[in-house]
Amino acid sequence: MEPVIVTKNLNLYYGHFQALKDVCLSIGERRVTSIIGPSGCGKSTLLRVFNRMNDLVEGAGVTGEVLLDGEDIYRPETDLLRLRKKVGMVFQRPNPFPISVFENIVFGLRIHHLYRRNKEMLHGIAQESLEAVLLWDELKDKLGRLATHLSLEQQQRLCIARLLAVKPEVLLMDEPCSALDPLSTGRIEELMQELKKNYTIVIVTHNMQQAGRVSDETGFMLLGELVEFGPTERIFTAPGDKRTEEYITGRWG
Amino acid sequence: MMFTPRVTQKIAFGVLLAASLVVLLPVGVVVFVILKNGLGAISWEFLTEMPRSGMREGGILPAIVGTFCLVTGALLFALPLGLFAAIYLSEYAGDNRLNRVIRLAIVNLAGVPSVVFGLFGLALFVNFFRFGASILSGSLTLGVMILPVIITSSREALESVPKSFREVSLSLGATRLQTIKHAVLPHALPGILTGTILGVGRAAGETAPILFTVAAFYLPKLPTSLFDQAMALPYHLYVLSTQVPNVEAKIRYGTALVLLAIVLLMNLTAIAIRSYFRSRKKW
Repeated sequence: MEPVIVTKNLNLYYGHFQALKDVCLSIGERRVTSIIGPSGCGKSTLLRVFNRMNDLVEGAGVTGEVLLDGEDIYRPETDLLRLRKKVGMVFQRPNPFPISVFENIVFGLRIHHLYRRNKEMLHGIAQESLEAVLLWDELKDKLGRLATHLSLEQQQRLCIARLLAVKPEVLLMDEPCSALDPLSTGRIEELMQELKKNYTIVIVTHNMQQAGRVSDETGFMLLGELVEFGPTERIFTAPGDKRTEEYITGRWG
Repeated sequence: MMFTPRVTQKIAFGVLLAASLVVLLPVGVVVFVILKNGLGAISWEFLTEMPRSGMREGGILPAIVGTFCLVTGALLFALPLGLFAAIYLSEYAGDNRLNRVIRLAIVNLAGVPSVVFGLFGLALFVNFFRFGASILSGSLTLGVMILPVIITSSREALESVPKSFREVSLSLGATRLQTIKHAVLPHALPGILTGTILGVGRAAGETAPILFTVAAFYLPKLPTSLFDQAMALPYHLYVLSTQVPNVEAKIRYGTALVLLAIVLLMNLTAIAIRSYFRSRKKW
């Protein structure tokens, strides 16, 4: 199986602070990979390497290689806009724009001029995206409603739909359920299993049970280091590293 | 004599309340006096006719039109310029020496007395650019004066748009310019509008900047081009009050009332816009 994302000796610095240390991992296509670890261990930073959102942080610097479909995304000639279209992100707090549901979904399409003023096509993609996040039936008559008036779960689904509309290949999820209640969390997790059929998913979570439920591979991070990476089942039943074992058995963290 | 903390608290509360009421007093008196003396002058004729007999009779139409022209001109000049500067400063500019100097300059521009703006306009627009005493010169001078108000309020509006909006937009593959245009500006617009209207309201009431650059003492006709001189309400009020003998009080107060009403109306519009959008926004 060809991996979609491979990092080789990845180091990331914020000024003098080294946030990622020599990270080597490979993420398989159409699988869910979770990154777990205590707060401040660099898991969100790692996630933001894959769409180069860290570029926005002043003083951030990267060494090593990050290959996406075999191409190093940190080469100077990388087209950042294409990269981010291909590698989308779902954030910790649902963050729809305070405009209508419909306008939220087609935001990316307008940005990328993918619509050519064709209203039907816009509407078709909006429907497709909402169906993909299982929101169409709930919202098909409420497309003109203000997105910020939806429930938090609906908002987060909408954010995922907004992302799917630009046809990404990889979905990065940065603790996508941390603002949601357990029931909503469960439904989003089901959605992830559904999305996995078409997309490669990388999820950062501080919730170990969640990682166990949703992911095929798991990586455990500590102080910027990727301590262990492997099939989720093995990581949780037979961790190879003492620190991983201590973390997942809840001795600290 | 010693007070208990409870009594001290009560006294302090009373003093603070009194201070607030004293602030209210001049506002009340100004509005009362102007209304009482000026309301009698307000009529359709007063608002739509030329002044007659050395401004002692007739209406104030040219002054109203002049003020309207000046304010519009100032807006057309200052809004785009101020908005662009604000966008640069809040979205693009880093923290380097040049940008610090720019920010300092804006703060200082806001503190320059308005009569100095008048002299500046005279030197630059009237004389150097040879626009003469004209609506163009006056508008530009007023525009420069309200520029810091517009820049500052626009910057505040832009910076109050949550960072997450920018992040989402960029993460969807938008350029920074697209992000500003689609994800930031629309949500900052109410704030920008409010600040702009407040700035324009100030421009409408200023006398000193138009004194040397546009204002006509007595010009009973409507302006026909940008290079015409024009009458304007604040200057007209000054002239009526100090330069023309034997003007009926109600004409003076009527003029003041019209000016006050225009400025008040603008401020109310600003407040209405702000509260409308505040009730809609939720982030």
